[in-house]
Amino acid sequence: MGKYVGIFWSALAVGAAVVAFAPIFVAAQSAPGAKAAARTTAKAETNIDTTREANSQNWVVPRMADGHPDFSGYWNSLTFTPLERPAKFGNREFLTAEEMKERFRSGLRGSYEPGAQGSEDRYGGELFNPDSVDYDATTYGLSPWQNGIKPNPRTSLVVDPPDGRIPPLTAEAKARLDVGVRPGGTFPYVVDDHHGGAVVHADNARDLGLNTSCLTQSGGPPLIPAEYNSGLFIAQNPAYVLIETETGSEFRIIPLDGRPHVSSDIHQWHGDSRGHWEGDTLVVETTNLRPDHTYRNGDPRTQKITEYFKRVSVDTIEYKFMVDDPSTWTKPWSAIIPMSASTGPLFEYDCSENNNDAVNILAGARAFEKKAAEGKPISQK
Amino acid sequence: MTPDTVHPRGLMIGFVIVAGAVFMLMTGGRSTGQAPAPSAVKVPTPGQFPPYRAPRTADGTPDLNGIWQAFVTADIDVQDHDAQAGPRPDMMGAYDAWPGGQGIVEGGEIPYKPEALAKKKENAEKRMVVNITSDPHRHDAGDPELKCYMPGVPRANYMPFPFQIIQTPHVIMMAYEYARALRTIYMENDKTIPQEPPADSWMGWSRGHFEGDTLVVDSKGFVPYSWFDRAGDYHSDALHVVERYTHASPYHIMYEATIEDPNVFTRPWKMSFPLYRRMEKNIQLVDFNCTEFVLDLLYGQYSKKVDK
Repeated sequence: MGKYVGIFWSALAVGAAVVAFAPIFVAAQSAPGAKAAARTTAKAETNIDTTREANSQNWVVPRMADGHPDFSGYWNSLTFTPLERPAKFGNREFLTAEEMKERFRSGLRGSYEPGAQGSEDRYGGELFNPDSVDYDATTYGLSPWQNGIKPNPRTSLVVDPPDGRIPPLTAEAKARLDVGVRPGGTFPYVVDDHHGGAVVHADNARDLGLNTSCLTQSGGPPLIPAEYNSGLFIAQNPAYVLIETETGSEFRIIPLDGRPHVSSDIHQWHGDSRGHWEGDTLVVETTNLRPDHTYRNGDPRTQKITEYFKRVSVDTIEYKFMVDDPSTWTKPWSAIIPMSASTGPLFEYDCSENNNDAVNILAGARAFEKKAAEGKPISQK
Repeated sequence: MTPDTVHPRGLMIGFVIVAGAVFMLMTGGRSTGQAPAPSAVKVPTPGQFPPYRAPRTADGTPDLNGIWQAFVTADIDVQDHDAQAGPRPDMMGAYDAWPGGQGIVEGGEIPYKPEALAKKKENAEKRMVVNITSDPHRHDAGDPELKCYMPGVPRANYMPFPFQIIQTPHVIMMAYEYARALRTIYMENDKTIPQEPPADSWMGWSRGHFEGDTLVVDSKGFVPYSWFDRAGDYHSDALHVVERYTHASPYHIMYEATIEDPNVFTRPWKMSFPLYRRMEKNIQLVDFNCTEFVLDLLYGQYSKKVDK
């Protein structure tokens, strides 16, 4: 799997501004990035001491003309905090000040020194894995410090249950997920060195998964960050909130008028979202997800994602999501991701229009097969 | 309504009404021999709208919020065209026959340069060519709509799909059901966004401002790959589109686009048509992420052949 991760991430970066450089993404190595990083790390690390505390002075929640809090603008959900709490923290929800600074510093350094700072409990793998970024992120403005990331005092994003871990799967879900349902949003095909070195499960574009075939780059819900391009744009008026995700330029339109959900016969890539206000918190409930695009392969019939947006400082939205899916997890669970104020614009992400990866991976697989059939297998080593 | 915001058309019609009343007074109202008709609702005449002033948002600008849809056949051909069989009548029959329709181009003709007209005709002949490569040559031939690529501007506005306008004080979002294309119109009061396009894109770089009741959107920074219709009408990366969205009634927006592209056309030209407000009580956009439906079309040549 690791062999093709570089190609996979270049697919995520296919956008109007960068597509022409896609081959460079794969070819560029870490050393120049690390040097650039050294020059900028010190500046970036000043974020630790100057953001939330200083900005909280005299700050009041900005409001729309209708009196509700104003969430409009550019935000970024990038994080160095693992989704689930590393075992060493037990039930401890918050880091010490020193631990928080160290995690932030090492996260920044690790983000452009691939492999140098690898530590499973530091990054949680899924949410921020610098080992998978194999080019100089700073060149493209993709490095965390260029995206407004700030320290997070939490030991994990999951805040409920109190142990910071996702609850166990139900027996039904274990059976369902064991029969080979293709995981959406994760690397969907494998390299099999035991069959003449051919790429298998790359027979057609659908085999490449939802991301590489450009069907969706997620976009939530929930709004889970990736290594880069975790930008968001929120447009808000009294009747609707629109949330655009930078990766994929995908959007959700959330009506605030209390209308019921669409019928269960309609399935949407980002579900069917309904919003309402609870005091100063924007609450968004989403159902009607597609069977092939639920969160963490949940059950589309039962999965409900509830998101809570709350402005807590001049430059932070506290974003909480609750996953309620009784046929998949033994109880509901919740996570909090701080979203940092960022700058625009978001660039158009023309994925299918520039999908080099689908062509190259499929053509490569056919070439492997042809050579193997001729008795001259191509080594992938 | 303050005097300086009265729409010119309203002034004109008001003048006609006043002049008519003066005429009636002068003639004693005897010319028809009947009492004036009450201000009863008349059957509307196509192309004519009574004076209308759009409702305002909280910040005082004309309120364009809503879900809108064009009902022209311009996606097939922006110019006059007959009904025609679809590409596979042997299989698709009437499911994919294309309706005829009258064009939306002002004056009827598109002022192509001679060599550009030849290219348009070649485009039409090759509209169903699909040759997807891992480089920009994938765009050399074929209608982008067939491949579910983003529709570009102004085609997005007359695709046979609804789109939603979400208006805020700083941006106006135009979200299209077709291929989930998205436009951000940066209003002039947003000083944080570059004036010039930072990168070329399918849906362009759009700045907006209001002129009375009209939203004016100035767009450029387009990639040269989108088309205007299935008839091969096209543009280059010098495309410059100025759109005018003017409320004509609570249920209509008159849409006008001026197309400028010195690489392709000898002069700017205009298209116009009404947008209709979708009035279903539960109206909302639903997914038409058509990439799902074109994967075999796009990548079949690179896929493992499977006996069916």
